Amino acid sequence: MGWFILRRLVLLLVTMVIVSVGVFIITEASPGNVARNLLGSFVTPEQEASFLNQLGLDEPLWKRYLYWLAGTDWIASKRIGLPLERLTTERGFTEWWAKLPSGDLIRWQLKGEDLVAVIKHQDGRIEEKLDNRRWRKGGGGREFFWGVDLHNRAVLWQKGLSKKQWVYVHGKGWVEAAGGATDYIPLKKGFLRGDPGISLRTGRPVAKSLFVRLRNSLVLASISFVIVMPIALALGIVAGLTAERPIDRALSIVGMAFSVIPEFAMGIFLILIFALWLRWLPGASVFGNHAPWERPDMLILPVLTLSLIELGYVLRITRASMVEVMRSPYIRTAYLKGLPHHVVVFKHALRNALIAPITVIMLHVNWLLGGVVIVEVVFGYSGLGKYLLDSAMYKDINALEAGAMIMVVVAVGTQLVADIAYTFLNPRIRFK
Amino acid sequence: MGDVSQLNEYEYIEGKERKSLLSKSLRPFALIFSSRTATVGFAIVSFWIIVSVFAPFLTPYSPTYQDWKAPNQGPSWNHPLGTDELGRDLWARLIYGARIVLVIFPVSSGLWLPGGTALWGVAMALLVGSTLGLISGYKGGWIDEIVMRLLDAMISIPVILLYLLLVAALGASAVNVVIAIAIVGAPGIARLVRGLTLDIKTRDYIRAAETRGESSLYIMFVEILPNTKGPIIIDAMLRVGYAVFAMGTLGFLGLGLPPPSPDWGSMVAKGREFILAGAPWAALWPSVAIASLVVGLNLLADGLREELTRYQ
Amino acid sequence: MNIKNSKVLQVENLSVSYKTRKGWIQAVQNVSFDLSYGETLGIVGESGCGKSTVAFAIVNFLGPNGKVTSGSIKFEGKELVGLSRRELNRLRGNRISMVYQDPMAALNPILRIGDQLMEVLTYHRNFSKREAYEHCIDMLKRVHMPDPEAVMKRYPHQLSGGQQQRVVIAMAMLNNPALLIMDEPTTALDVTVEAAVLDLVEELKSEFGTSIIFITHNLGVVARVSDSICVMYAGEIVERGHVGQIFENPAHPYTRGLLRCVPLLGTSKSSTVLRPIRGRVPPPERRLPSMCIFADRCGHRENQCVDKKPNLREIDPGHEVRCFKGERFLYISLRDRRSAQKVRRIGSSTCAEKEKPLLDIRKLRVYYTQKMRIGVKHIVRAVDNVSVQVNPGCTLGIVGESGCGKSTLLKAIIGLEKVRDGKIFFQDKELDTLVVHRPLDIIKEIQMVFQNPDSTLNPAYPVGKQIERPLKRFKTVPRKRVREEALRLLRAVRLGQDYYHRYPRQLSGGEKQRVGIARALASRPSLILCDEPVSALDVSVQAAVLNLLMEIQNKFGTTFVFIAHDLSVVRYISDYVAVMYLGQIMEAGPTQRIYEPPYHPYTEALLSAVPIPDPDISQRRIRLEGNVPSAMNPPSGCRFHTRCPRRHLLPDGGKICQEKAPEEHVIDKNHTIYCHLPIETLLELDPVVEMKTS
Repeated sequence: MGWFILRRLVLLLVTMVIVSVGVFIITEASPGNVARNLLGSFVTPEQEASFLNQLGLDEPLWKRYLYWLAGTDWIASKRIGLPLERLTTERGFTEWWAKLPSGDLIRWQLKGEDLVAVIKHQDGRIEEKLDNRRWRKGGGGREFFWGVDLHNRAVLWQKGLSKKQWVYVHGKGWVEAAGGATDYIPLKKGFLRGDPGISLRTGRPVAKSLFVRLRNSLVLASISFVIVMPIALALGIVAGLTAERPIDRALSIVGMAFSVIPEFAMGIFLILIFALWLRWLPGASVFGNHAPWERPDMLILPVLTLSLIELGYVLRITRASMVEVMRSPYIRTAYLKGLPHHVVVFKHALRNALIAPITVIMLHVNWLLGGVVIVEVVFGYSGLGKYLLDSAMYKDINALEAGAMIMVVVAVGTQLVADIAYTFLNPRIRFK
Repeated sequence: MGDVSQLNEYEYIEGKERKSLLSKSLRPFALIFSSRTATVGFAIVSFWIIVSVFAPFLTPYSPTYQDWKAPNQGPSWNHPLGTDELGRDLWARLIYGARIVLVIFPVSSGLWLPGGTALWGVAMALLVGSTLGLISGYKGGWIDEIVMRLLDAMISIPVILLYLLLVAALGASAVNVVIAIAIVGAPGIARLVRGLTLDIKTRDYIRAAETRGESSLYIMFVEILPNTKGPIIIDAMLRVGYAVFAMGTLGFLGLGLPPPSPDWGSMVAKGREFILAGAPWAALWPSVAIASLVVGLNLLADGLREELTRYQ
Repeated sequence: MNIKNSKVLQVENLSVSYKTRKGWIQAVQNVSFDLSYGETLGIVGESGCGKSTVAFAIVNFLGPNGKVTSGSIKFEGKELVGLSRRELNRLRGNRISMVYQDPMAALNPILRIGDQLMEVLTYHRNFSKREAYEHCIDMLKRVHMPDPEAVMKRYPHQLSGGQQQRVVIAMAMLNNPALLIMDEPTTALDVTVEAAVLDLVEELKSEFGTSIIFITHNLGVVARVSDSICVMYAGEIVERGHVGQIFENPAHPYTRGLLRCVPLLGTSKSSTVLRPIRGRVPPPERRLPSMCIFADRCGHRENQCVDKKPNLREIDPGHEVRCFKGERFLYISLRDRRSAQKVRRIGSSTCAEKEKPLLDIRKLRVYYTQKMRIGVKHIVRAVDNVSVQVNPGCTLGIVGESGCGKSTLLKAIIGLEKVRDGKIFFQDKELDTLVVHRPLDIIKEIQMVFQNPDSTLNPAYPVGKQIERPLKRFKTVPRKRVREEALRLLRAVRLGQDYYHRYPRQLSGGEKQRVGIARALASRPSLILCDEPVSALDVSVQAAVLNLLMEIQNKFGTTFVFIAHDLSVVRYISDYVAVMYLGQIMEAGPTQRIYEPPYHPYTEALLSAVPIPDPDISQRRIRLEGNVPSAMNPPSGCRFHTRCPRRHLLPDGGKICQEKAPEEHVIDKNHTIYCHLPIETLLELDPVVEMKTS
């Protein structure tokens, strides 16, 4: 039992490593990059280079993977010579500061040739002052300085070499600005330390947007799961008990059709019926800033689409398992003991028949995730799936990685639950 | 009742055995028609195969011909299923779309292979999956352990994620769709074949081959592989159904064949935008097409499987 | 149920059909018999003759595809055919209960034994839980289940096969049924366990007075337990009578044929020849209603047998037979015929005494590791310190129960299993590598014949191809003559040329086994290892395969190592016999010497357990207790000491058996016994198997 769980956990780790590396490599190997995706295809090579440099995307792949995994602050802190600290402001923004020996926080900006320090005192008072004494002599006579800038990056400034850079300004998008540096390391704690980084597409922290999206998707998936399970298991058992008879025929064929029709086709059918023809329900689920449960009418169609598909699948699996169990010699024994039909079914058959579906259903969560993505796209539902799809399209690596990791955890986690349920239900494993 | 002195043990089989090649090749059809489910499935699948093979004769339009004057029309005499937002004939797009799924595989703009994209995907999955499954199952030990753990990891990666990564990364093309289908399908086939191999491996005829000192390759491919045929055929049929499903899904996500190819999934995706504007046809027909083909393939496979196991 | 009837069960003209793809097929036709209170009726016949169908028809459980097409089944005077489900439930498990072949499958894997037992009482008799529990414990004690309280809490997979069967029997007996139907209850069990279960059946019979229908294919078993016997063939009863009548004066050619097919424990190849029945049981669609069902296989067929169907008629009080000529056979005793068989022997033995052994195994150990889970491995000592020799042209028989290591020994010889320690010499060359590393000229010298006819041939290829493969691989004949040679081999195993193109699925079990033998012969080996080649075959076919093997030995001087769990078969075919238990040899020697005192205590127990289909032979009753210990953790000292019934003959209860492995006692002429008991004591023991003196 313990071994079982350990094995799954190892599998989870292996899968996460494979997927995270895979995402990096595949994103890398494919044509185009996030700069083009975001800035449009008329971007100049200089603009593109500046953009990639600022985001640290010009580093070699292994380094980027390492940074993503373990963060960059520890490397940057070595360069700067001061420890770094991450703060969250009252308005919810993340800020990176270097910490002076005095306990005050500091960061810098370059104004012309001058290095201006912004100091945040422990009492909250902010002070700006010239800080040119920090320039250090480098090879080739040029003075340089490693510091933290106002955009949460460790930067390398070189005196007299103010490059043009492209900066993201809220509301305006990407604009050209002076005060550029030669090297940038975007600061982050790394995935292992709970920081999936900043979305390249939106500039906002991935964790935050992901949370809302994940919540929305969970609402969708769990409502349909709660509706489907009891119905599907019950129908599956009924079909299994009436094997080969008309009820079973009907249930099996309808179940099969539901389970194999692609989610988008099912969604289209339901929209046509309920939104266009009957005009009972809205044909899209656009909540804006509201939570899904604030518009239950918009939830019905996506939930229904997902439910019908799951219903078909679970019904089929349960039916097959029930049929097999009802044909087994121990059920024959039970009948020949003279037990009434309901006792045979409920005491002898049911638990045996549910062992197989539970594992299979849990394995199916993997597919369910796919269904959720499609349903979200069909209905414009802003959930994890759509987020992931958009991230993939833009090659927004941080968002993609985080979304992928969540999916893997959900998929493998349910397998773990399935394993535990299986051992619990099956004494042959429990009492080995 | 005549003289039976000639009747001996050999004769029981004698009569049945010398069957003509014709009756042998008709046997699968007899099997299909003995199941109502399989017959219905067979009819649906045949319909799509026939319309896609004869597509050029079944419509005067080309799938990419745009009639600017008639966008988003409903069914009419000129356009039996209506037109899409660019005034392209939906029937033409539908049956040429079926062609890509079932009959031809557009490798590149100049190269077309016979056998649909879905079929190629399944074939590739079969090739990779059954080889892995055979090796893993027959060799056992650490090879099995490694292959199986890798497949476990593969299987636990959400399929949609794989699609997104593969096709988003590799770009939209029929070859990439085939690769995606193959990668997603191979682990399942490998597990199936491994299971069959583990079972067949214990048979005495494998022992007999081993005691002849046959090589592993001989045992795997000559002794074991032919005996996995039955379950693999049924599984492959289901997988073709799934491949059609996958093609549709990929197309719908914008990851299918590049426009203006008549790709069912992308037809739905495009048509979806016009549903609420009152032009549901462009989204409806390809949805119906995919649903019916997938359901047909599943009916066929299910019916066959049931028929094969019914009287055991 | 006040109608007092002297019969528990009356079956009249019962016919049962099954629905198949080809339509309805009659599996059982016109079966009639009745059963008195306290009587045990044996139903015997080969596979596919409809025995089990009759049993399931009685309990009205034929499944969705089966139905009783005509006839009546009266239980205690009440008609069972067409009874409602509710009424049936009142009878099943209460007045009629059933025990079947595979006890593991018959028990629900997820319910505790206690639950499964108690529900029989709580549903039928409204017992309280407490009462039911006590009653179950009581019943488990009566079926001699050790530690019944603990067993009640266990799950089926935690019990051994013998224990599971005891549980199933206890379950069937809980409500003291009037009728107990046992369908091959001992077939899946080892001989010693089987003997104990049969003892139990007899005990329960005398204790409860239950009427029993005992279904089996094993003539020995049926002879041991039955009062009267029905012989079934192809869905019909062909002969019916008292056990003495059937075994002493069988009147149907089929019954007589069956009895002549089985080697008796006292027969060897030099004294008897087995007479197989030709042909095979016709499949249901081939059974013509207008002629004798056995006509096409019968050696005494006349024109009337083909023109009309014989009825079951009484030819002696209580003795009925379905044959026109029944009376004529009645008084031709089979025993006389048996001795007459001595005259016809297959050639002379090719086994010469003093030659150098062809195969010489010295202190062989074969261990393999069983992976329990990651990091934890168990070493299974499958073969532990085994030494044995075989002379050219001889047959060495190895007997032992399942798990004794006999198959592993064969695998080590042929090179499928790694040798841990010890040596195997073959033609004076040492075999120390796995088969893949052996040179072709060694590989071709040792071939193997396998157990299961259904898996011995690759279903994907026609027979001819499978025989040709070794011919090509070992280049036995030039390429041009391969086909010719394959046809010759087919003829050698008595199969026609037309088999060349057939697929295995078109062959019967016996035919497949013949092809397997032909394939083994293809490389012209000097040693053939036979892994239970006849144990999965019906008796009538078994005889033919045994005869074929002996013919081959005579013709080519081939040496055989023949393993089997059936002591009669081993005795019949072997020149030397080795008895194995838990990876070690207990006793080895010339066949004749093994089957008479002095015995090893294990051999003695085995001989006592073998069911012998001859009511004139009596066996002393020696039963082993407990189960075979695990080979992962074998007992110290003598491996048999935990179950040895003779240990107490030694001073201080055989303490030495626990501490020290026994030395070999060479009695005489290669006859060795590994036991601490002195030879004198062993010599004093009476023979186990004796002819009753009339």
